[in-house]
Amino acid sequence: MKNFFKYRTTIHPIIAIFTSLFIIFFGLFFANRVYVCLYFLLACYFWLLLLGCFRGCIHTLPFVVVLVLIFGSISYFTTKSIEHAIIMSNRVLATIFAIIPGFSTSAVDTTRCLSSMKINRGVILGMLIVMSFFPLLFLEIKRVREAMKTRGAGSIFKPKIFYRAFLIPLIVRLTNITDLLTLSVETRGYSLEKAPYTIYKKCHITLYDILIIFGILTGVMGMLFVNLR
Amino acid sequence: MQAIELKNINFQYPLQDKKILDTINFTANYGEISLITGHTGSGKSTILNIMGGIIPNIIQGEICGQVYIDGEEQLGKKLSYICRKVGVVLQNADLQIVHKIVEDEIAFGLENLAFPAAKIACQIDLVCALLQLEKDWETRTLSGGQKQRLITASTLAMGQKIIILDEPLANLDKKSSIALMEILKSLAIAGYCVIIIEHRLDMLLEYVDCVWSLKQGKLVKVHNIRLHMQEQVAKMNDSATPFYENNEKIFSLQHVGYKVRTHYGTKTILKDITVDIEKGSRTILLGENGSGKTTLLRLLAKLYKPTSGNIEQYFYKRKSAKSQKELDRKFDKGRKAKKKKWFDTIGIVAQNPDYQLFMPTVLQEIAFRAKSKEYALEIAELFGLTSILNRHPQSLSQGQKRRVSIASVVVGEQEVLLLDEPTVGQDYESVCELVAILNTLHERTNNTMITITHDMRCVEALCDKAILIEDGIVADIGGKELVKKYFNI
Repeated sequence: MKNFFKYRTTIHPIIAIFTSLFIIFFGLFFANRVYVCLYFLLACYFWLLLLGCFRGCIHTLPFVVVLVLIFGSISYFTTKSIEHAIIMSNRVLATIFAIIPGFSTSAVDTTRCLSSMKINRGVILGMLIVMSFFPLLFLEIKRVREAMKTRGAGSIFKPKIFYRAFLIPLIVRLTNITDLLTLSVETRGYSLEKAPYTIYKKCHITLYDILIIFGILTGVMGMLFVNLR
Repeated sequence: MQAIELKNINFQYPLQDKKILDTINFTANYGEISLITGHTGSGKSTILNIMGGIIPNIIQGEICGQVYIDGEEQLGKKLSYICRKVGVVLQNADLQIVHKIVEDEIAFGLENLAFPAAKIACQIDLVCALLQLEKDWETRTLSGGQKQRLITASTLAMGQKIIILDEPLANLDKKSSIALMEILKSLAIAGYCVIIIEHRLDMLLEYVDCVWSLKQGKLVKVHNIRLHMQEQVAKMNDSATPFYENNEKIFSLQHVGYKVRTHYGTKTILKDITVDIEKGSRTILLGENGSGKTTLLRLLAKLYKPTSGNIEQYFYKRKSAKSQKELDRKFDKGRKAKKKKWFDTIGIVAQNPDYQLFMPTVLQEIAFRAKSKEYALEIAELFGLTSILNRHPQSLSQGQKRRVSIASVVVGEQEVLLLDEPTVGQDYESVCELVAILNTLHERTNNTMITITHDMRCVEALCDKAILIEDGIVADIGGKELVKKYFNI
């Protein structure tokens, strides 16, 4: 009970999955309701930012700015309509904001949670590999960029070399990593078939998880109410 | 009692015209530590994969023969079944970690084997104490050696009676290597079957009961273990001219500190490093895993910035008159970094060669920074790479990749060469050749070499000066005598 009120920077995996689904589904479905959808998406962003997902919110911010500018501009220059630009931006925002809860869950909680719900082991393995893979991906990109510098291949003015020096080591490394991660998981007893499994530490829902889903649902209800009126 | 038996095993990888294992027979008993040795790329890991069920369950190929574990035929059995009997510690620990916290990482295998939660907690405490790990450590901030210990701990915690380890000592310092071997020995005494694949035979002599040598696809049991091991661990000769101390510094570090921010606060890697590195010397950085050696190397390479203190570098303009040496100020603090120029001056050989190889052929890779194609060919010949000049660098074995990566860096004739574990994963002969080449190049170019290595076979042969780092400070400075003292040679 003590942990129920404790402020956490991670969300319960099930809450994260539902939050993502609500944001992407209703964000895309109501993208045509220009300002209502925009307000809903911005409210979701600030709600997540406030309730512990600040790391995900900050990490996605540069992508939000760049992609909204790119797609919004394309839409504006092809249709000459500010509304169409916002509709396009809504779709981009809905897609990116749906990723934020994923940043705030850990692979271990997700595995334990989904295993306790008897979800297909193959699906859990896929999620586990993907979630373990992303932190490694950023680290690998950093290391490849460093290696490029040390080999004198980091200049964007030599695009052919730049592309080779970046992509080839990165693809080789990522292929090796996914292969080895799968191997590591399977040699440590992970079975794709139904097999007995222990949950070492249970992941409990906290007050902040409830507030997050409640807030998102309130936003969805509000949007539905405005549209039905 | 026999734990594992391989009978007439033949194996060939797809798209390869030659068998990597040719009718091999092998047995390992409970209560013994067995060692499999052989050249880089000879097929040692393939044997591990067959015994661990990875071949043919995950890695495909043409296999025939019989594999028995506890007298039961294993070929055709699923990996999830075999892994309950055989614990496998694979190479490249840093790529196998799936969770963020040490405790969760160790618990992962135990949860999969459905251990009760209380037993999981006990096992975690036990292996953490044995392998000197803290339960709440963040896995991504661990050093290479700590990650190796973590992956080993994860397997040991699962409690299988047969444990196979592929290069478990790679990246481990001497203290950690001895500690791990002591644990494995006590497990063997307790009735476990331990099989090790390792190049660093210097650490194993006292511990192994049985040695197998793999050569050209054939596995042979070694009868005179002591003689075989001594041949493989003989100290390498230092072929370079002895370095006489001078006052000409190339780096001067004053009170250098380095801290990183983690989710759980700030972690101090280096506290206060004050040391000079002389021009034209060969310096070895000594220290235990996680002591900050790689961080120090990266600080010297300007890949990191110190969080406190200062690093002065003394590079002279190449064109200035010899009588009036003029310091090259372009790399000084405050000036706009001239990265390309800097990395023309400093050559860095990373721990993992995969990052530094990107050209379509070995020749193009070496020629990328070479002053001429002729010089690239000369370096290729020096490194024994002439027979593979037209191969794609990423298609080579790990040992060959390592050579290509070093050749492609040193071809730039940099004033300073920074080498991070250049001998990892290489057999004795390859290490001997590599050390000789590095010393030849050092003589020829009079470069300053700074090396990190835990390999006691070659450490003396690459050393004029040794710096021992402990708890983030310089604990001792010396020459070869410090190396001897540190490694207890």
